[in-house]
Amino acid sequence: MPRTSSKKGSANSTSSGTSSTVDLFRAASGKAASKELERIDQLFYNYANSSSRIIDPEGIESLCSDLELDHTDVRILMLAWKMQAEKQGYFTLDEWRTGFKALRADTMVKVKKALVDLEKEVRRSSNFIDFYSYAFRYCLTEEKQKSIDIESICLLLDLVLGSQFHPQVDALNQYLKIQIDYKVINMDQWMGFYRFCNEISFPDFSNYDPDHAWPLILDNFVDWIRSK
Amino acid sequence: MSSGQKKRNFQIEAFKHKVVVDPKYAEKTWKVLEHAIHEIYNHNASGLSFEELYRNAYNMVLHKYGEKLYSGLVSTMTFHLQTMSKSIEAAHGGSFLEELNSKWSDHNKALQMIRDILMYMDRTFIPSTRKTPVHELGLNLWRDNVVHSDKIQTRLLNTILELILRERTGEVINRGLMRNIIKMLMDLGASVYQEDFEKPFLDVSADFYRVESQEFIECSDCGDYLKKAERRLNEEIERVSHYLDVKSEAKITNVVEKEMIANHMLGLVHMENSGLVKMLLDDKFEDLGRMYNLFRRVPNGLSTIRDVMTSHIRDTGKQLVTDPEKSKNPVEFVECLLEKRDKYDKIISLAFGNDKTFQNALNSSFEYFINLNPRSPEYISLFVDDKLRKGLKGVKEEDIELILDKVMMLFRYLQEKDVFEKYYKQHLAKRLLSGKTVSDDAERSLIVKLKTECGYQFTSKLEGMFTDMKTSQDTMQGFYATYGAELANGPTLVVQVLTTGSWPTQSSVTCNLPSEMLALCEKFRSYYLGTHTGRRLSWQTNMGTADLRATFGNGQKYELNVSTYQMCVLMLFNGADSLSYREIEQATEIPSSDLKRCLQSLACVKGKNVLRKEPMSKDIVEDDGFSVNDKFTSKLRKVKIGTVVAQKESEPEKQETRQRVEEDRKPQIEAAIVRIMKSRRVLDHNNIIAEVTKQLQSRFLANPGEIKKRIESLIERDFLERDNADRRLYRYLA
Repeated sequence: MPRTSSKKGSANSTSSGTSSTVDLFRAASGKAASKELERIDQLFYNYANSSSRIIDPEGIESLCSDLELDHTDVRILMLAWKMQAEKQGYFTLDEWRTGFKALRADTMVKVKKALVDLEKEVRRSSNFIDFYSYAFRYCLTEEKQKSIDIESICLLLDLVLGSQFHPQVDALNQYLKIQIDYKVINMDQWMGFYRFCNEISFPDFSNYDPDHAWPLILDNFVDWIRSK
Repeated sequence: MSSGQKKRNFQIEAFKHKVVVDPKYAEKTWKVLEHAIHEIYNHNASGLSFEELYRNAYNMVLHKYGEKLYSGLVSTMTFHLQTMSKSIEAAHGGSFLEELNSKWSDHNKALQMIRDILMYMDRTFIPSTRKTPVHELGLNLWRDNVVHSDKIQTRLLNTILELILRERTGEVINRGLMRNIIKMLMDLGASVYQEDFEKPFLDVSADFYRVESQEFIECSDCGDYLKKAERRLNEEIERVSHYLDVKSEAKITNVVEKEMIANHMLGLVHMENSGLVKMLLDDKFEDLGRMYNLFRRVPNGLSTIRDVMTSHIRDTGKQLVTDPEKSKNPVEFVECLLEKRDKYDKIISLAFGNDKTFQNALNSSFEYFINLNPRSPEYISLFVDDKLRKGLKGVKEEDIELILDKVMMLFRYLQEKDVFEKYYKQHLAKRLLSGKTVSDDAERSLIVKLKTECGYQFTSKLEGMFTDMKTSQDTMQGFYATYGAELANGPTLVVQVLTTGSWPTQSSVTCNLPSEMLALCEKFRSYYLGTHTGRRLSWQTNMGTADLRATFGNGQKYELNVSTYQMCVLMLFNGADSLSYREIEQATEIPSSDLKRCLQSLACVKGKNVLRKEPMSKDIVEDDGFSVNDKFTSKLRKVKIGTVVAQKESEPEKQETRQRVEEDRKPQIEAAIVRIMKSRRVLDHNNIIAEVTKQLQSRFLANPGEIKKRIESLIERDFLERDNADRRLYRYLA
């Protein structure tokens, strides 16, 4: 950075036209940025499928192994959230650029470091709700799909809430697997789960009020636990 | 000259004549008056000159001897009253009151005269010195010297109370004397009447009725007790009218009500073998009416009766609707309900004065127990079905209306009106298709009633069914007008063309018709489609009937009235002597459950067994074989087999109807939610549940869980969303 500022200073002293100075500055910083971009793109092509020019599940697999992460690790989901990836198992160049520019990471070493900060960022409550709902949307793979089957929901719950609300997620998963009323879970119910874990004291449900318009599935869940 | 004249002034002096008043004047005059008062009290007034006495009294006041006159009056009168008091005290036993009464009237007369004599004092001296006027003074002195004298006060009270007690126990007393004595107390002022008589009277009465009611309740049943209480109450009212102050009526009736009714209310109502429940059971209108009229006088009296009646109706009603014996016969079940309703209607109108609160209690009780049995809607529809099939033959038009009105009343109690509607539609369809309906007027009258109750929506389909019947008749006439000659020798076909949607038809497999019928049906199809282009016809062979002519082995000819399925089966035996179950099934393609039922009615019903089954047994199994029963005989030439009478649904059918009802409710609940949210935009959970329930009340009782499910479904479909801040709120998304 000091180099840039000295350049700017020297440009001033040469008393050339102001506009050209700015241009010069822009060009210089642009050059640095484009260098970074180049490296990010480079990183992308390391994993992208050479013919489709996007990162497919195979590419993600090798990205994971380079990052020394399991592909089901929540941090991969966080990375996807940062990139705002639309389709599960695929990253496009645009998504990759958005994500990595925001992380300011253009080498694998930087990426690894950035992941630590990313996790902190996600866990901030203002971001977490967005991440949580993103996790649901990310799993909608089909056109016009609005709900997710129970089995996937259980896995997803464990992944995103398991570390924070372990007993709740355990009980909820157990219930979801034995109940027969619902085969799929929709966004409303999904958001209800988070609210429930976040607000309701567990396992006594002392502040659970069925008049508070909880999704029916949670009423049933509470009844089920209480009857146990 | 004038100056020399001496001025003379005239002076007129007052006439200085000293009026010498006789110093003994006051004393003398008073003596005259005093003497007069004595004479008055001694019944010797005839020799007195009123005019003279008046003048004397006037002069005394004028000459400022008012004070002397007044105090003289007080002491003279007191003297006489004390004498009277002595003579009253001396009176023995029964003559005591009479003596008191006569002295009282003496005193009153005397007082009257004295007041007249002292009129001037009464008018001028007394108001200016603020003394008590003569009449009032007389009463006060009487009160203090006679009524309140030691030896009279308690004796008087005890005598009066004693006499009242004697009257209560049936003796005749001198009411005129009583009236005079009580009147005296009243004349002496309200406080005297109340303190010296009324209060102790009420206390004594309370004790009396407390003891008496306890005796009564131990030795009489509820009805008798009430009669006695009613009599006592009337006696007390009568007593007041004869010799007590009118204001005492409310007080003494209050005492009787409290002691005889309020204190024993629960004991009476729940009295074993004669209490309210027993009266209700035995239709004791008179006793019930008496109880109502007595209990309404005391606080919580009516609510006590109402509560007991309500719980009795609920209990017996619950027994009725949950009795498995009663449920076996739906018609009887409903008749029992109507009977019960009539019974209580009569009780309320005859005994309870058509009290609105009792009618409401009756209605809510019925609503409570009728809905305890989930099959009530079905049974009520079956009852109507029974009435409209045969029950109304020979019944007058007004009576039909009466029965239908009663049915509508039961209908109103139903929470699940939509279930009734489902069944009603099914039963009506069967009635129309089998031509079993007795009176078109009655049918239409009921539909009009349902329309006022449930609105146009529901009945439009029912009306559509009637229209279909009429149109079908015309169509058949047209068909036979065109092809009549050609078809004269074949079988006759009657088709009822039913509009899809109006009828409770289930999509069913068309069975294989006998070839002669099939040809005829095809002919009709081409005729019908020729006149109505763009329509589709499908045959509902599960709903038809047929008349067959059959000749049996011994040459006997019968006309058989059977269902279309049964016809298909029987026609097979024209070409074969015996057939196995499997062969029949294959040839007709009738669904197996229907086929089994149809074979059962052809082979297993005594007297109607036109087929013989091998082996002989009650149930049809797939290995059975069938042949024509050559030995079939019947007294009647026309034999009706396997009628399609609407019967109580079987368990799986019931489940299916239930499910259809539940399915139909979903869009109704959703529509209600959307309607409400559209107008309210934002609403909290509890209110939305309450409003939806209210809106749908006239159709069915919506389950809160189901409403919640529908809300969630609407959220999923982006009609609604949850509020971000307040999670109880829903927002409408336009």
